[in-house]
Amino acid sequence: MPANPKYLSSNWQRFAKISAGFLGGYLVTISLHIALSYWLNHVHVIITETFTGFILWASLMVVAFLAKNGWKIWVIYLLLSALFSIAIYFSKIYHPLLS
Amino acid sequence: MKNRTYNILFHTHTVSGIVISVVLYVIFFAGSFSFFRDEIINWERNESVEITDAIQLDFDTALDTLNSQYNLYGRDIEIRKTHQEQRVNISLGASKDTLATEDTKTSKFLYLDTKNYAQNSYIESYSLGEFLYRLHFFAQIPYPVGYYLSGFVAFFFLFAIITGVLVHWRKIVSNFFIFRPLQKLKTLWTDAHTALGMLGLPFQFVYAVTGAFFMIKLLIVAPNVMVLYDGNETKLYDDLEYNHPHFKLGKNTLTTAFSANTYIEKTQALWDDFNVTEMHIFNYGNENMHVLVSGHIDCSDKFTGIGDAIYKVGSGVLVSKKDPIENTSYLDGVKNTLYRLHFGDYGGYALKIISFILGLISCFVIISGVMIWLVARDKKKIPEKKRRFNERVVRVYLAICLSMYPITAASFIAVKAFQPVDKSFIYSFYFMGWLLLSIFFIIKKDLNFINKYTLLSGSILGFLIPIVNGCVTKNWIWKSFANKQFQIFFIDAFWVVLSIISMWIYFKLSKKDATMPK
Repeated sequence: MPANPKYLSSNWQRFAKISAGFLGGYLVTISLHIALSYWLNHVHVIITETFTGFILWASLMVVAFLAKNGWKIWVIYLLLSALFSIAIYFSKIYHPLLS
Repeated sequence: MKNRTYNILFHTHTVSGIVISVVLYVIFFAGSFSFFRDEIINWERNESVEITDAIQLDFDTALDTLNSQYNLYGRDIEIRKTHQEQRVNISLGASKDTLATEDTKTSKFLYLDTKNYAQNSYIESYSLGEFLYRLHFFAQIPYPVGYYLSGFVAFFFLFAIITGVLVHWRKIVSNFFIFRPLQKLKTLWTDAHTALGMLGLPFQFVYAVTGAFFMIKLLIVAPNVMVLYDGNETKLYDDLEYNHPHFKLGKNTLTTAFSANTYIEKTQALWDDFNVTEMHIFNYGNENMHVLVSGHIDCSDKFTGIGDAIYKVGSGVLVSKKDPIENTSYLDGVKNTLYRLHFGDYGGYALKIISFILGLISCFVIISGVMIWLVARDKKKIPEKKRRFNERVVRVYLAICLSMYPITAASFIAVKAFQPVDKSFIYSFYFMGWLLLSIFFIIKKDLNFINKYTLLSGSILGFLIPIVNGCVTKNWIWKSFANKQFQIFFIDAFWVVLSIISMWIYFKLSKKDATMPK
């Protein structure tokens, strides 16, 4: 029994979900880990990222496919990445790793 | 679970699985054999070594041999053992001495035999074991394409594992013992896929994550270098303790006598059960010469017990040390665990054999998944043309995947029968043979035929492997057993067992065919 196509999205929606999961998910994963590196022991965060990075990224891909609207999930992922990037930006100024 | 969620997860699982299936099968099949990489290589060379993590070598003789040929003065020298072979890896860094000749200002890599001090380059050392090991991450496809291909396949495998578990979530317990091979073809494949998928889940999850890490870690590392370290890559690797310390070359030569063996003994005296796996010498023969001796304590004592000691040769003083027993860092723990879990080298042969079986089970999960895909689409309401197309896709898939078994067995024979063989021989024999077999089975147009005759041919060839080995080397299976040449015996016996099992399956399949109405 192949999946019932009435639940599956098509064309642009499908494109939005695939790209959001793959690219958006990657951006969220990386920005989150880098932001954490400034506030926790950065060596620990980086070496942890070697496995949590891939697990989180793959999970975010699953979430993107479950979304009702692919563009909405893109917006959410971009907002999250922006949030973490702002944290990185200010951390880098006030709490830099390399001094 | 809502119907919508279920269908979406089901579909993403199907599509991601189908896309990666063939590549993933090759990875798992070649990877399963890679657990025995060292055994295969020793079998090919008709050598047998004592299985130890520690380097068994007279370091002084080795360094003297190298010094007479390469002039080691001012170089950094690394002697490492990475495999259970009679050869150790030697890296000679370029001499830091400004007055050195052009030849000594180049770096070199070679393998040194620990018994007769013969030298071999990488190409000269190439073997079927190395070939199968490298096939499991597609190193034969020019870098970086092969690495990224296998890395992303591992990553999408992780995605397929997550979606697969979610799809099966509610039935994990209730369906665990269900097996209905006789009801209809669809249930046979589905039950096999889910039951074996669940059994192998921890194994497969670990390999998906670690495999992705080994091959596409650059995707994780690069942003960290750019943002956290402002492009200073060396600093990152220093922080992650992947780099050795640096020592500058002094003006004068070393005036005291130097014996490398004494530093090995000194280090072994520091900690019980300490296995030296690497010796790194900085500035050989110079007043600022240092020796780093590193290794680990036995896995049975402590899973992560990595330590090292650095000595200044001029004074013989211990400059710094890392204790393998006390205070293991989180960093070492993660690095060691990722590596160990993937290589399965911490539990002796029992673990390797279990890992091999789980690897082949994963191959079966992949194949059964492809078969579900086909059978689920083999319905009257689906247009004939579409069904024929599906059948053709699966036929090509199966032909490529299943013919790996006979061609692998044939390669074991070929490397013995046509000794000595080189890299290009192994490449052309394996890849051409694989291609021809695949084409032959595709033309046969019968899935059942492909299944049965790959098993039968692999099995017959497998039985021939110990025989050919006996004829060529005169080291028959009972002789290697009697002489306790374990690695040689193991590969011969391994193929006999594998052949018996596949022959048994072949006869089972044939009997079923005979009783089943057409």
